[in-house]
Formats: sequence, C-alpha cells, structure tokens
Amino acid sequence: MRSALGLYLYFFKIGWFTFGGGWSIVAQMQADFVEREKKITSEELMDIVSVGRSLPGTMIGNAAYLFGYHTCGVLGGVLSVFGIITPPLVILSIVTLFYKAFRDNVYVARALVGVRAVVAPIILSAVWKLQKTGTKLKFPMYLALLAAACVLSLIFDVSSVLVVLMGVAVGVIYHLTERKKGEEQE
Amino acid sequence: MITVLQLFWSFMQIGFTSFGGLSMIPLINSEMIGHGWMTATEVSDIVAIAEMTPGPLGLNCATFAGIRVAGVLGALAANLGMLSPTLTVCAAAAVFFEKFKKSRVLGDVMQAVRPVCVGLIWAVIIDLCRTNYIVSGSVEIVGVLIAALGVYLIFRWKWSVPKVICVAAVLGMIFCR
Repeated sequence: MRSALGLYLYFFKIGWFTFGGGWSIVAQMQADFVEREKKITSEELMDIVSVGRSLPGTMIGNAAYLFGYHTCGVLGGVLSVFGIITPPLVILSIVTLFYKAFRDNVYVARALVGVRAVVAPIILSAVWKLQKTGTKLKFPMYLALLAAACVLSLIFDVSSVLVVLMGVAVGVIYHLTERKKGEEQE
Repeated sequence: MITVLQLFWSFMQIGFTSFGGLSMIPLINSEMIGHGWMTATEVSDIVAIAEMTPGPLGLNCATFAGIRVAGVLGALAANLGMLSPTLTVCAAAAVFFEKFKKSRVLGDVMQAVRPVCVGLIWAVIIDLCRTNYIVSGSVEIVGVLIAALGVYLIFRWKWSVPKVICVAAVLGMIFCR
C-alpha cells in the first residue's frame, strides 16, 4: 500500500512536466527507474513503452499503468495513472477558466516556444540510452527494423499500431527460425 | 447529470479509437460540434492549448471540454472516459504481459518489437524538429540555440527533465518572439 502511494506521488511529481506527447516522461522514467534506482532494466522500460504505445488510449497513461502494475499490482497501476494525470487536470482546469487571457498572453506563448524547443533534445536523451538495450538480433537486422519503422511512420504516415504489429510479425518469424535452428542442432 | 454521462461516453469512444497524437482530432471535432458543446474555432483553440500545456493531448482536450460543458465533475467524467482503455484493455494486457514475459515466444517477439519502437521514437523526434525549428520556411535560430543548450545540459551536466524545461521556459520568455 505504501509503495502504491509512493507511485502516486512519484507520477504526480513528474506529471507537471509531461511534454511532447508524454515522451518527456519516458526520458524521466529512464533516468529515475533505470539509471538511478535500477528498479527495471532498459529492456523492460522499452517493452512497457512498446506495449503502451500500441494499445488504445494515451501512451503515457498506459505506460504508467504497466510500470505501476509491474511494481505494485493493480492498485499500483491505477494509482500511477491517477498520479500522472492529476497535474495536467489541475493545469488545464485553470487554463480553461482563463483561456482567452492565456491564449493571448505573449509571455506564456514565448515561454512555451522555449519549452517546445527543448522537447526534442529531452526525447533524444531517452532514445539514446534506450537504443543501447540488449538485443539478440544481429546489428544490421536491428538497424533495418529501426529505419523501416521510422520511415513508415514519418514518410508514409503509417499508424504506429500497424508499425508495431509488423514488428510483432517479424518477431514471430524470428522466433520460428531460431527454434528451427535449435532443433536442427539437437 | 445526463451531460456528464454523455461526456464520459464521448471521450470513451475517443479513447478507444485513438492511438495517441493528432489522429484523435477529427473525432474530437465531430463529437464536440455534434453535441453543440463547442464551436469549430474553440476546438482548434483547445488543440493549440492542449499541445502547449503539459499533459497528453487527449486528456487535455477532455479537461477543457469537461469544464466548459459541466464543470469539474464534467472534467473528471471526460478524463475517466479518456482513460477507460488504459483501465480495461491495458490492465488486461498488463496481466498477460507479466505472466508471459519470461516465455520464449514473447521474449523473441520483443526482440523485434524493441527496435521498431526505437524507430518510432526517432520518427517523433524528427517530426518535432520539423515543426519546432522551422517556422514558415526559415530556421528558428533562437529555438535551435535553446535546443543546443538543452542537449548540453542533459548529456553533459546530466540535468533532470524538469530543470531543463524550466530553464527553456525562462529563456523562451526572454528571447523568443
């Protein structure tokens, strides 16, 4: 119970800084859970993000649930989700009340241009460390999958669910060939 | 009370059919205008505001629409609706995933899914660079400089995300126009 509450507080704390569609939170989770506290490995975070991204709903809500469930069961999952959405709920409620003033305020707009400028480097820091995760795939294969996913999403506008499903298909083929090889060796 | 339930129902549909990002905007648009909850201009305003403020786009839209239509209770209902896929589908997936994580099949499949996911994040980064550093055909010098400083602070000085965001906000307030 105490650690489920701890999860709520942790996600409440970082929820104020959910920028870039939640990807800044992934960077934060990487720094805190993988590097500092060593609660999960990079691979596990990567899996949480992959699964969270390919399910319906908000990616970061899903990722928070999966992490919370992993550490503390259902209660942990639910409290993590509520933790991460409380700050945006509070901020947006206030913004909504003063929405005209907020929309037309020059200083707010300028501050947000600054924040937007720094979101890409923040996400970069997450992906930089995450892509060093261990993989059994050969490097050219790894790179080909990475590049294919990037191009499909960026240039051909394929939805990320479909892209992840293609990854799943490749994974199944990989599984079958590996097992076949294993059997032949025996 | 009926409006609150309608809000929940609308955002539940939006939640289940959206897989993140801007793909949900057309549906938000038709739901809000269809119920007479907002005008088209208001919808484009919230999308802009939801993009600027912290929080996922869908939840921010839910809060905005909820508050305007039915106050705090409306906002809570809309948020819960938006979160319903997480609390149902994702919760079920979590049970499944924890159970079979150690299995060979899922282990092998994830070997291929991980690089795909990294590729998708790279796509997000490139897309953000395109929209944030290039404004109407010319490069935003101030934005690029702030980004460069951000890279330095994060990779060299190991600054935390909140600190970097705060610094960027202050710099933006002073130098951006």
